[in-house]
Formats: sequence, structure tokens, C-alpha cells
Amino acid sequence: MAEPTPVHLFHMSEKRRQFKSSGFFLKMAVLLLFILVPFLFPSFKTVDLAMQIVMFAALVASFDILLGYTGILSFGHGMFFGIGAYCVAFLIGKYGSPSYGNLILGFLLAAAVSAVLALLISLLTLRVKAIFFAMITLAIAELAIVLATKLSGLTGGEDGISLFTPGIFSPAFNLGEFMGIDINGRVVTYYFILFSCLALFLIMLRFTKSPLGRVLQAIRDNVQRAEALGYNTFLYQSISITFGCVVAGLVGALYALWVGYVNPESSLSVMTIMLDVLLMVIIGGMGTLYGGLIGAAFLKITQTYLPDLQHLAKDLFPQAEFLHNIMERWLLLFGVLFILVVIFFPKGVIGSIREYGARRKSRGLNKTA
Amino acid sequence: MSDTSAVEPVLETERLTIRFGGHVAVDHVNLRVEPFVLKSIIGPNGAGKTTLFNLMTGQYKPTEGKVFLMGEDITSLSAVKRTRLGIGRSFQLTNIFPVLTVLENVRVAIQSRERIGFNFWRNYLHFSGLEDEAYAILKRVMLDDKWAVPASDLTHGEQRKLEIAILLALKPQILFLDEPTAGMSQEEVPAVLEILQRIKDAKTQTMLLVEHKMDMIMTLSDTIAVLQDGKLIADGAPDEIHENRAVREAYLGGGARRE
Repeated sequence: MAEPTPVHLFHMSEKRRQFKSSGFFLKMAVLLLFILVPFLFPSFKTVDLAMQIVMFAALVASFDILLGYTGILSFGHGMFFGIGAYCVAFLIGKYGSPSYGNLILGFLLAAAVSAVLALLISLLTLRVKAIFFAMITLAIAELAIVLATKLSGLTGGEDGISLFTPGIFSPAFNLGEFMGIDINGRVVTYYFILFSCLALFLIMLRFTKSPLGRVLQAIRDNVQRAEALGYNTFLYQSISITFGCVVAGLVGALYALWVGYVNPESSLSVMTIMLDVLLMVIIGGMGTLYGGLIGAAFLKITQTYLPDLQHLAKDLFPQAEFLHNIMERWLLLFGVLFILVVIFFPKGVIGSIREYGARRKSRGLNKTA
Repeated sequence: MSDTSAVEPVLETERLTIRFGGHVAVDHVNLRVEPFVLKSIIGPNGAGKTTLFNLMTGQYKPTEGKVFLMGEDITSLSAVKRTRLGIGRSFQLTNIFPVLTVLENVRVAIQSRERIGFNFWRNYLHFSGLEDEAYAILKRVMLDDKWAVPASDLTHGEQRKLEIAILLALKPQILFLDEPTAGMSQEEVPAVLEILQRIKDAKTQTMLLVEHKMDMIMTLSDTIAVLQDGKLIADGAPDEIHENRAVREAYLGGGARRE
């Protein structure tokens, strides 16, 4: 005990490097970029893009808690996102006045409904095999869409619900000009959502590094072994699913606040949301949390700017007929990009970089030992 | 065998029997394991060694007879419950967490023993005592220089060592080792034997071993039990076993395995 073990030395050097490493500076730079977006690129399109990236990064991270850290594939994650969005829409759109109290109540309702439903689903289905869990969540997610569409009296049907945001979040709010831009309700909402997502992300980061998070990773790695150690794997998996789904619900609530409108297509659809989330987590890397940001940025930026490329192509090369034809089918280009990412980063961008770093580190340790 | 009967045994079986159809695989076996000894069970192939193991650790339910752990009847308890009561078992197939680091494999086991798995708000590194203990256990099994690598990067022999480390971390009342050197290369065997010797010399851990490599058993064990056709035909110190006529005829004589 008197002599520090190599484990101690390793942690001490990690701690010393914590605020000096390139990773730390990179994270701070990204955060700073998002903080400055409304000032640097005040156009509606870029601010909306930045906001979508932030919200999807948090959503994908919460999905990663299930898939990457617990080894559970759920197709119902988009549904929890939608439930959160609808909860806020009910409280400050359809059934309540736009007040702060109702907004807070909406967030609490989003968390509570997500928690209860997630717990119920995991208690009922987790005892079956993993593949059945995926199928059952898919069925429930589809059922939610049908319900939201058909119960139009309750949910507004396909037309959805428009929200009225209270006080400082409302479009009419204006604090005056600062550094050349209007500090209006939209800018306030941007920062509120940015820091809410940041807080959610930090909570998730802490969750994965807690003793509970470590047990989840052990369960993902070898269920029988974890059970043989005396862990109640079923209970741990239920807790993880519930936590991930509550975060998804809260992100959905924030999403409703930003777009000011919810309908089944934009906030519940398995095809538009769930598929994006899956692609993002594959691109970014499973079991990394930070991968969500990379995946969200990649997908949202390509989806926003690839269609623009066709105009650019027409302007630059007005004669190249073949190029125009390709550019009009920009999804094709997206597919090629996606394949390239998967080929060069088989474990996702963050996962592959981390693996490379870990290999170098362990080689270094072996040399000194 | 005479002076040990005063000590309360860690594990005891009473007329333990299991029949598979008409075949009696384990036949009225009375076995005692005293605290902090290393006892080995040997016997020719098909003698019922692993079946006896499975009866004691709870994988099989006996047709007849009882199993006692620290004087308590555990015959009706499941394997998982027996694990919680302090029966740690290694299998012939290696069972580790492949993606986790070597240190984390052991740390998660200690965390289970300490029952802090449901803590979700503190950083796991704040429980630094756990890492220190995990590292100390890795030292005991001579894996301390590999603490930072993923367990899947270890050789087969090293993975068996890690498995022993995980079991030690649970601080079981009794450690069951089913052929700990099975499938190992010749170069790896001596290291595992040394680890077992060290654990035995520390006099803090009771161990029960199934093995059919005779040389290994003779020098390592405090006592040896010999099984033949499901029956216990001898039980005593290595010298006694070596001299025992019944054993020589059944096992050592007719083409003994000296791998």
C-alpha cells in the first residue's frame, strides 16, 4: 500500500493530463463552436442544423446506453422521443396555456411516462431473447404511431399539434441587440436546449462510469459470467433501459420546444427517427457516447448540404449532364459515404480512434514494464 | 485422517448418490474438506469426478444423500444460491469478460462481493480500494503486468489464471477447480501449478481440485480422494494413496496416465 501500484501511477498520469490532452481541447472547441453558432452563422438554416445535431447527439447517446453499454437492441427508442415531444405538446399546446409551470409539468410528464412505459416493456419482454426484445419494441413503436394517427381527437391525428411557447421562449420575446444579432425567443431557446442537452450528456457520461455502468458493460460482455458473480442481470438491464428511455423522452420534449410542432411523421416515425439514430450510432461508434455527436453531425450535415451540391454542380459545370443526374440522386452519394465510413472505421469513428489509441498505450506500457 | 475430524469441515457430503437411469454415476460418497487445505479428486475417465463436482456445486440434484457447507445443509439450493453462500467454481471452458481489461474483470467481481453495483452517481474510480485489491489479486496469480490489456488478448493459459483471480476476488468459502490445466500448453502448466501452490501456502483458501495429471496431484495436494466407478475407494495423504493397493490396481497400475 505504501508503494504506488502501476494502476495508481496510471490514474495519476491520466488525471494530470485530463485538462491538457488534445481530446479535452477538442471537446471544449466543439462546445465553443456550438455556443457561437447563433453569432457566427445566424441564418435559420445553420442554427436549425446545429440544434438538430445537438439534440440528436443526446438522443443517440441515450440509445447508446442501451445498445453500446448494455447490449440491448431496441427499435422503440424513437417512440420514447415522440412520447416526450407529445407530453410537452399536450401541456402547452392542446390542453394547457403556455406558462412556465405547464412547460415544467410537460417535462416531468415526459420523464414519468417514459420511465413507466420503459419499465413495463423491460419487465414484460426482457426475459425473452434479445432478438425478441427488438421485435417487440418495433411492434410497440408501430402501434404508437397508429394510436397517435387514429386517436385524432386526443392527439390531433396526422395534423399534429402546434405549441405555444411561454415567455422568454416565445418568438415574440426580444431582449434587444447584442453583437449584431437579435436576442429573441429563438436564440434563448437555442441556448436552453444546448445546455439542457449538455447536462443530459454529462449525466449519461457519469452513469456509464459509475459502478452500475461498469456492471452493465460486464453483463454486455458475458451474461453468464456476470450472473455467476452474483449479479441480478435482469434488474440491471431494466434500470439501464429505463434510464436511456427517460433521457430519450426528455430530448423529445426539448425537440418539441424547438420545432414548435409535433406530428406522428416528424416525432414518432420509426423510419425517419429510429433509422437515423441507428445510422448515427453505427457511424459514431457503439459504446462511446461521444460517437453520437459525430454520427449526428455527419448525418445531419450531409442530409442538409448534399441536396445543395446539385445546384453547385449545375452552376459550375452546366454541360455535365451525367453529373447532374448523380447529384439529383444525392441519397446515392450518401450511401457511398456511409459505406466508406463503415469500411474505414469498422467500430465507428470514435470507437476506431479509441482502439488505435488503446493499442498504442498498451504497447507503451509493455515497454516500460 | 484421525486428528482432522475435530475440525469443522468446510464442505461435507453424506452418502451422496446420483443415478442416470440404471447407471449409478456417483455411489454413496462421503467426503470431507477441512479448512484451508487443497484436496484433489482423482480417478480414471468416467469415474464420476465431474459429476461429483456438479452435485456439490448444484448443477445436478442428487438422487440420494446430502451436501453440507459450513455445517449447513445446502442439498436443495440452486447453483446460483450456492455461489452466493461461498462456492466458487471454475469450469473446463474458460469463462471471463473478453472486452473488459484484466483489472476490470477482477474489479467487477470484487464490486459484486461488496454489493455496490447499484451505485449510479459516483465515479467508479472513487472506490479505489477495489482497484488496489484487484491489483493485489492479479499479483497472486502473476498477471499484474497484464492489468491494462483487454482479457481477450491473453493467451489461453493466462485466461485460466484470470479466471482463478476472478474466483479469488469473490472470497469463496471453497474454490472448485475443474482441471485447471486442461488444454494448456506444456510451458504454461508450471506457472499455474506455482499459483495454486502459493494460494495453498497462504493457508487462507480452501480448494477442491479435479485433475487427472498424476504428477501434479501428488506434490500439490494435502489430501487426495480416489474415485472408481462412482465409489470412493481411498481418501488420505498423497503418500498413503501412493501405497494403497486398491488405488494402484484401479488407477496407477494398469496404464496410468502420466501426461
